[in-house]
Amino acid sequence: MAAAVAASGSGTPREEEEPGGEAATSQPQVPTNASGARGARLSRLPLARVKAWVKAAPDVTLAGQEAIFILARAAELFVETIAKDAYCCAQQGKRKTLQRRDLDNAIEAVDEFAFLEGTLD
Amino acid sequence: MAERPEDLNLPNAVITRIIKEALPEGVNISKEARSAISRAASVFVLYATSCANNFAMKGKRKTLNASDVLSAMEEMEFQRFVTPLKEALEAYRREQKGKKEASEQKKKDKDKKTDSEEQDKNRDEDNEEDEERLEEEEQNEEEEVDN
Repeated sequence: MAAAVAASGSGTPREEEEPGGEAATSQPQVPTNASGARGARLSRLPLARVKAWVKAAPDVTLAGQEAIFILARAAELFVETIAKDAYCCAQQGKRKTLQRRDLDNAIEAVDEFAFLEGTLD
Repeated sequence: MAERPEDLNLPNAVITRIIKEALPEGVNISKEARSAISRAASVFVLYATSCANNFAMKGKRKTLNASDVLSAMEEMEFQRFVTPLKEALEAYRREQKGKKEASEQKKKDKDKKTDSEEQDKNRDEDNEEDEERLEEEEQNEEEEVDN
């Protein structure tokens, strides 16, 4: 696991060396995306990871840099949204820690999250 | 264990930070919930990408662009994301433009110093920025995945 974390952490510098890496252009001085909150004012998610997901989608040939960036930002908004919705459930249970079941409840309750049903197991 | 790209989750620190900033102070998140959210994010991107791809194909394009993604958001009933995303896109474009101008400025300064090595490096970077597309980076991904 440590290797995975190190890999994802060191992945960005490798991206900077690569000609196609956005990390070089979007975060010139920040070493890693994980801890670079300052440089990641526009997007905190590692663009390399978002790229990997886009590539995994069927039928997708290419995606422009802007598209990757917006997807990263959208994913960030999505995380915020689902966290807030799940928190409502936790609040009702008077708990201060979000649990997995809060997430499941939010997914069932909110129509927009329907696409997540059955995917998180 | 063969890891699919969509199984690669976000770094825990990133997810935790985003969640904590979205929630009131003092609220925590369990490991299971965090990893579920992380997974949900990857499913979301996958789904959004497929949707956006449909729009691109309708427009007979092979490359996803920003408006495809925005259309996908509306299609997925995440209209509330559209406005903040448009703002983020404009800020991103400004930043890219600013960087380009900055690096061109740097080039001009370097020209004065006639430092040829640096010139080549900057020129390459500028070319890369112009032509940046989603290329085959299998090697990179394999290196990342290799535990």
